[in-house]
Amino acid sequence: MKSLSFDLTVSLIAGIFVCLIVLPMLALFTTTSLGELVCQLKSPLVLSAVLISLETSLIVVFLALCLGIPVAYLLAMKDFKGKEILDTLVDLPICMPPLVAGLALLILLGGNSELGGMLSNHGIDLIFSKKGIIIAQLFVSIPFLIKSARDAFESINKNIINASLTLGASKFYTFKTILLPLAKNGIYTGMIMTWARALGEFGATSMVAGCIPFRTETMTVAIYQNAMSGELAASTAVALLLLVFSFTLLLVFKSRVKVQAG
Amino acid sequence: MGIVLKEISKSYDGRAVLKNLNLEINQGEFHVLLGPSGGGKTTTLSVMAGLTEQDSGSVSIGGLDVSNLSPDKRRIGFVFQDHALFPHLTVFDNVAYGLRVRRVKVHEMTRRVEYYLSKVSIAKEKGKFPHQLSGGQKQRAALARALVIEPEILLMDEPMSSLDSMTKESVRDELKSIQQEIGVTTVYVTHDQNEAILLGDRVSVLNNGRVEQIESPSELFHHPKTEFVARFVGIKNILKVSPIRINNHEATVQINNDGMEHPIRIRVKKYPIFEKGKEIDLCIHPEKITLKREEKTYAGDLNQIRGKIVKRTNNGNGFMAIVDIGGTTLHASISSDFKVRENVWVCFDPDAAHPLCGKKCRAAETKRRCLKE
Repeated sequence: MKSLSFDLTVSLIAGIFVCLIVLPMLALFTTTSLGELVCQLKSPLVLSAVLISLETSLIVVFLALCLGIPVAYLLAMKDFKGKEILDTLVDLPICMPPLVAGLALLILLGGNSELGGMLSNHGIDLIFSKKGIIIAQLFVSIPFLIKSARDAFESINKNIINASLTLGASKFYTFKTILLPLAKNGIYTGMIMTWARALGEFGATSMVAGCIPFRTETMTVAIYQNAMSGELAASTAVALLLLVFSFTLLLVFKSRVKVQAG
Repeated sequence: MGIVLKEISKSYDGRAVLKNLNLEINQGEFHVLLGPSGGGKTTTLSVMAGLTEQDSGSVSIGGLDVSNLSPDKRRIGFVFQDHALFPHLTVFDNVAYGLRVRRVKVHEMTRRVEYYLSKVSIAKEKGKFPHQLSGGQKQRAALARALVIEPEILLMDEPMSSLDSMTKESVRDELKSIQQEIGVTTVYVTHDQNEAILLGDRVSVLNNGRVEQIESPSELFHHPKTEFVARFVGIKNILKVSPIRINNHEATVQINNDGMEHPIRIRVKKYPIFEKGKEIDLCIHPEKITLKREEKTYAGDLNQIRGKIVKRTNNGNGFMAIVDIGGTTLHASISSDFKVRENVWVCFDPDAAHPLCGKKCRAAETKRRCLKE
């Protein structure tokens, strides 16, 4: 009897969780019709925001792979002085409010800073540009790839790596033929998380790149701008599109992992 | 190629695992590193492979100092305790891995992989992934993967510890015959004395980061040099004795194990470094002890000690009696007709007792030389 009431309590709590996630999403559908949704999605402003978001977030995933995998490898495989500090630095952007991250980047890369001024002299303007969006998105999303890849590398049996080395393989050959294939699920997870985080990034992006329509207005910025200016239909259309992206990404990833595990 | 380890030391977090370890392994030899967990066996193997960097000392393979070479440059094959097969590759690709690293041409690679797969009797499993193999098949695949690169040294770290006894027996026999056929110098780590005796040309017993004894298996079992080795190879009867009389042919010693109410005197032949009053350990193999119900009046130089059987066990091959001789116990191989609590005479020849003195003691010549030292 006690066991039954425990199960019931746990199920009720799970039900509350489901409501917490599903109800806000359903609410989005109540504010618009399919026709209006399609119409809004065809508008040049929304299309531009979608394209900017996709372009920047995909570049961010690529850059996160290039920068994140070596860092993840270092953290998983090596013992060195300052490892704890590097590990904490990886976690920091997750804990840091995106607005703070955006402000820090703005100060570092703005025209008044030495670095910003130097880059500007060479014709590289990062603030209020797509490059700024990419840097802001990368800053907040790269920890997801590093953490996921690091966990994947750490879970590989060390003797498997040693076996490769004793068979005459160099460290790079071992990395390429053993570590990467064995860590791929963790890396895929990291990529999905990074992409989702980059797509959904708002605070840091808007601080660094502003909200310039057709230039730096990403999907999340468009949602905010439209909602604030009373264009709820446009805001909802973009929000639903983001939702569909996220949902599809997760579904594709989960089915892929399932196929490989099977 | 032979291997020479000179003065190897290795510590982890201030804890010394290897302490100035010296070891010389001959070319073509099947050498077993035997010892308890934590004795330094796996670290020794790892240092040979270059997977662990020693704090001091040198490693030579075939006369060449490889101390500073990485594992991929040492031309070794390594079989790990957990097989360490690459889980995302088939058996064929696992075995071919080392050849692909060496950019061996495809037809030559295929020929060699198939040759070694059939040598270890898993040619039919070449398309399977590691998770589809049994423990024995995984071990065979790991062995083929290590052998296919034709290493100068084959290192094996407790490769059969996870196998059942039947599979272990067949893999062990195959391993021994393959090693003899190929003639590759092999270093095999185990804590199983039976494996060491059955496989090794020579056995090194490692304890606490040092080599306690290097010997052929039979010599190790019959003439252990230290109490640790004696206990590790399963010798139960170890007596603390002090010589009280020494002449040219034999010594009379007094057993002085803790708790002995009445010191017992026995006579011992074949002793190397006995000194009056200096305590030494003697071991006596259970099969060299016989139990009698009555004391022999004309026993010659036979040692006879009065005792009582306190326990009788069946060890599968026969019975073992544990006899209380007053303060200490002796194990004796017996026939089934002796009963627990029966009073007996423990009898053994003066030749049966072997001193754990760290030196061999065979003939009178040796004895005399040892006495002089």
